[in-house]
Amino acid sequence: MTARAAKRRGRFEPATWILLSPWILALIVFVAYPFGFSFALSFYDYSPLNPAAAKFLGLANYAEALKDPLFWTALKNTLVFVFGTIPFTTSLALGLALGLKRAFKGRDFYRAGFFLPTVVSIVVISLVWKGLYAPEGPLSALAQSLGLVPPRWLLDPNTALASIMAMDVWAASGYYMVIFLAGLQAIPEELYEAAALEGASSWQRLRHITLPMLKPTFLFVLVVNSVRSLQIFTEVFVMTGGGPLHSTVTSVFYLYEQAFYKFRLGYASAIAYLLFSLTLLLAFVQVKWLKLEGPKS
Amino acid sequence: MNGLMKGLLASSVMALLITGCGGAPKSKKETVVFWQFFPAEQIQPVLDEFAKQNPDLDVQMEQLTWQSGLEKITAATAAGNVPDLCELGSTWFPRFASQGALADWSDSTAPLATGMVLADMARVNGKAYGLPWVVGTRALFWNKDLFAKAGLDTSKAPETWPELLEASRKINALGGGVAGYGVNAGERYVLFKKFMPYGWGNGGTLLTPDGKGSAFDSRANLEALDFLLTLGKNGRVDKQDQLDEAFMQGKLGAQISGAWLFRKIPKQAPDLRYGVALVPKPATDHGTHASFAGGELLASFAKSKNPTGAWRLAKFLASREAALLLCKANQSVQPAVVGAVADAYYQSRPNEAVMVEQLASAVPTPNHPAWLDMESAIEDEVEKALYGKETAATAITNASKRIDALAKTTEPAAR
Amino acid sequence: MSVARSVQRAPKAPWLLAPLLLTMLVPFAWMLFLSVQPGAGGDLSLHALSKARFTLEHYAELLKQSAFPRYLFNSLFVATVVVGGNVLTGAMVGYALARKRFFGNRALTWGVIATLMVPKQVLMIPLYLVLAKLHLLNTYAALILPFFVDAFSIFLVRQYVMQLPHELEDAARVDGAGELRIFATIVLPLLRPALAVVAINGFLLNWNSFLFPLIFTDSDKLRTLPVGLALFAQGEHAVDWGLLMAGSTISAVPVLLAFVVFQRQIIEGITAGAEKG
Repeated sequence: MTARAAKRRGRFEPATWILLSPWILALIVFVAYPFGFSFALSFYDYSPLNPAAAKFLGLANYAEALKDPLFWTALKNTLVFVFGTIPFTTSLALGLALGLKRAFKGRDFYRAGFFLPTVVSIVVISLVWKGLYAPEGPLSALAQSLGLVPPRWLLDPNTALASIMAMDVWAASGYYMVIFLAGLQAIPEELYEAAALEGASSWQRLRHITLPMLKPTFLFVLVVNSVRSLQIFTEVFVMTGGGPLHSTVTSVFYLYEQAFYKFRLGYASAIAYLLFSLTLLLAFVQVKWLKLEGPKS
Repeated sequence: MNGLMKGLLASSVMALLITGCGGAPKSKKETVVFWQFFPAEQIQPVLDEFAKQNPDLDVQMEQLTWQSGLEKITAATAAGNVPDLCELGSTWFPRFASQGALADWSDSTAPLATGMVLADMARVNGKAYGLPWVVGTRALFWNKDLFAKAGLDTSKAPETWPELLEASRKINALGGGVAGYGVNAGERYVLFKKFMPYGWGNGGTLLTPDGKGSAFDSRANLEALDFLLTLGKNGRVDKQDQLDEAFMQGKLGAQISGAWLFRKIPKQAPDLRYGVALVPKPATDHGTHASFAGGELLASFAKSKNPTGAWRLAKFLASREAALLLCKANQSVQPAVVGAVADAYYQSRPNEAVMVEQLASAVPTPNHPAWLDMESAIEDEVEKALYGKETAATAITNASKRIDALAKTTEPAAR
Repeated sequence: MSVARSVQRAPKAPWLLAPLLLTMLVPFAWMLFLSVQPGAGGDLSLHALSKARFTLEHYAELLKQSAFPRYLFNSLFVATVVVGGNVLTGAMVGYALARKRFFGNRALTWGVIATLMVPKQVLMIPLYLVLAKLHLLNTYAALILPFFVDAFSIFLVRQYVMQLPHELEDAARVDGAGELRIFATIVLPLLRPALAVVAINGFLLNWNSFLFPLIFTDSDKLRTLPVGLALFAQGEHAVDWGLLMAGSTISAVPVLLAFVVFQRQIIEGITAGAEKG
């Protein structure tokens, strides 16, 4: 047994490469190459309207970004967005998944209902919410009926970003709920049965079986949610255009403007790769925090 | 492998085999690839007429979406995969032209220039890179019912700033969710168009005549901004679509808006009693009824495959008959040809005629390569003033400083 | 059996979830409401409720468009093929990354995750240039190939496989089964819930995908539904709410169906009993 195990460890297996090869090719052509190209662009003054006139700038784009106050505003807004939504989205998604795991009458309907926001295009969702946040819209009316002075939602620099964040939690929870549901299925029933026999309460089962076993899925949700939130764009584009007073400018929104209104794709790429580094760092931290291992033997 | 996986594998293989297919069939005639934004039912009659008159050309029209349409044109330009003729918005045009992406049409368009309203829209660095096709401006939309309710004269619209202010005050005082004047909140590429008409009307300008410095810091512009801020206090500050909505629901006394309302109002608020008037000028004895002018141009790319075909199509589209045909169907824009207002269509529609009349004193934005940054600067500062973060005077001065810096440091890119 | 029963809680959950579900559904109720109001109105105040009428004119107008079935077919075709690819490649690569020790595993895994971390706005033009060079622009290939292998799917499956116990695979190895056989007959069935999520996610993203289909194809023949809808309903200055909401509702139906179908794979107890075999 040990001899065979030792043979497996680190052996070059043709099976592995059969499984991986065609897809590595696709990754190279459609992912790695555009990546490399856009990374290279970050060192150039490149306008898509006049590619022939591209000038090599070294690190000038990066230096400019780090000195650009709007870059930092965008970064700040993005981080507020990320840290402000992820705890809520993740807990809501997990809670919903736990609640909708076991069969009950109408469970599928509930699952579909919570998943519904994901089904519609984000542009349409943003347009609908833009209307909901209108001064005479339903949300203002709701606030008034509760005796409160309705905030100006998207028109007030103090509440605009929070308004978009609230919408994002609403829109994203159902999506991550489904991922958690899948992850929950990988936990063998026997563990729960054994624990019940030993008289464990549901809270104890949650804490000692579900959550530890769910770690890989939990990490997945955390990383993917972070990555996506760090790239928040369409909602801002549709609902506020970055305003008021730049309070909702996010990093990707900012780089989009640089790329397609100023046609400075090199500068936009530099911003993107600065964001990328931050995202990678955050992912590293999350992996370390949850102490995830590689493939076991 | 179970059945599901087999099925998936089979379909993937099949798909990879089929994926080579697709695309437009090849034609024996000379093709002109034309990218534009008008709905197919509006542009097709015009193209059919062109086909009749030019049987040797096959126009392949592709309709672009406003959402991300610019990205598509940009990507195509970067790859050299450009259409022969393309519709470009007047705010995008200077960038494309100054970076050498477009074909030089100075010679072809020279004889036509006098027949075009706002021919300067196509000129960058002394050369013409496109042909103005349709233009649009902004005018004052006012609600006759609310004016009547507030005890104001409904036979004519406010013509001066004091008249507009008084009307806004009185209507705003009516209460019940009604607002006097609609001021645009910070909205990229929109706020500028609603503020600057007052500046221009008061004699304000943006750049020095040689385009190398800012002329924005002036009393004229400061007075205009003060006026706008006062109007904001007698009305409502919101985004354009909300202001339009409020206007159509009869909850807004007046606002500056555009010809797209001519399509929306009959559908959404057919009973609305409203009028359209020229943007009010500062006083009866001085200033002008100025407004913003923008539009769509037709241009060919430096790398286009069929430049002659593109020119023939462009010339046709911009001609009086074709442009009128399109504008009557679309209603949101007007032909760029001089004298279009004389057409019976506009004569029978007083509101739309006002729009065309407004064009006569409408001002286009400078075709400076850094214009978009300058516009952003103005919008940022005006927005700050609207939100009370700075005084009007500071806003004007700051904006002017930023514009000046941009004017002095930006050079048009070499071809 | 009785042990299993006692483990199951009484379904208390619905009562807590119901109000939450209601808040989820309100914006959709609004969308549906707008889709059946006459005119292009974007009146989103409660005032609109008082003027409520009912009409199917927007749905009729959309379905009358001669290009509509074509757009629907394109969206369906592309989404289905890409989902097939996502499931297939996600399973294969995800499993390999999770279970196989080989030089570069960690690097490749981080590489896969890293591809999610660069915004598509900067990748767009490079990708366009690649497709232009390969002469794939304006073909179905442009809509399918770049998305056939998907990092999200690979990452999801990898994490899922990390949660699966080794025993079944090890037992099969001891019995002398080949690696590919183990993958196909033992691992794949266990991956059903994860692959269901991959399918749902893939279908959803590709069905609603707008930017890439817009820029990678020119011909109306290849147009997908979101782009078609934007052409009908989104003007430069005005959104035709009735058409847009009707179109979005129609567009939501296939994805919802895909969800309903695939989420049935995410049923409980799927791994139970397998251990004992």
